[in-house]
Amino acid sequence: MIDASTLLTILLMASVTYSTRALGYLALRGRTLGYRATAVMEAAPGCVLISVIAPDFASDKPASLIALAVTLVAATRLSLLPTVLIGIAAAGVLRHFLG
Amino acid sequence: MSSIELDTLGEVAKPVGVSEFLRGLAAAVPVQIGFVPFALVLGAQAAQKGLSPAEVPLMTGLNFGGGSEFAAIDLWTSPPHIALIVAITFLINSRHLLMGAALAPFLSAMPKRKVLPALFFMCDESWAMGLADARARSSFSMAYFLGAGIALWACWMVFTAVGAAIGPMIGDVEAYGFDMAFPAVFLVLLRGMWTGLRAARPWLVSLVTAALVYLFVPGAWYVAASALSGLVSSYLLAKQP
Repeated sequence: MIDASTLLTILLMASVTYSTRALGYLALRGRTLGYRATAVMEAAPGCVLISVIAPDFASDKPASLIALAVTLVAATRLSLLPTVLIGIAAAGVLRHFLG
Repeated sequence: MSSIELDTLGEVAKPVGVSEFLRGLAAAVPVQIGFVPFALVLGAQAAQKGLSPAEVPLMTGLNFGGGSEFAAIDLWTSPPHIALIVAITFLINSRHLLMGAALAPFLSAMPKRKVLPALFFMCDESWAMGLADARARSSFSMAYFLGAGIALWACWMVFTAVGAAIGPMIGDVEAYGFDMAFPAVFLVLLRGMWTGLRAARPWLVSLVTAALVYLFVPGAWYVAASALSGLVSSYLLAKQP
């Protein structure tokens, strides 16, 4: 089953994502950006990732906050897969014991 | 047989391309193993938000940008806030603009009609693999890039579909801590983007704005407010080189 509004969302997501792939190559080929534009381009992905996970930092459950801190420390020194496994394990165990 | 002779023979160009493609497929295997758990979690979470096992691979196959899909599923409602999800998708994937620009010098000898379809398979990992390979061998191998990119794309699409299909059998993935996979992925991506405290000041602005808006304003406004405040502060804080 494919819902119409879901399909529309998916098609629009796909179009804007592909546009970012093509436009970077087409528009920025052989050119250099100004320093402000470069700064915004460099900061943008990080700002967006943070804005999406921000509610995790504002959680009112101690177990989730401690698990997030553990995950944060893991992320500073480990690669993707071990960090995810540690994050999941920490959240699962802490929620089990702290609720 | 010398390499010059090989290059002048048109008919051997294809087998060389095939072996380069296979080299890309093989190089992608360890990355594919890393993709599987995320794909399963994303599929399971999407199923919990009401997406069907057909809609999930449609999204992950057509969009093929993991970070934006995690965000979209996180923000998913029924019916979805289309404008919000599409805007966030664009912002999260805006890093592709820089990635494509970084590849451009290596692709200058290739016609656009070949590059543009290939760029569909540019994700963080295939981009990094293609660039690293180009630096090691001092020339960019499009067949290698495509081999890696297509291997990762197929793996992502198939295992998100599997996740959507078996997710409902697993039940509430949150109880086992699986939701922590999202911030974990994002935090590792952020670590990879980290270039120092000075450059990260807009991130702090984003974080504080997001937390405040999330606590005091109902709805998903925190995402837009936080992303915008970060972009504005990066513009204002930019230092002339």
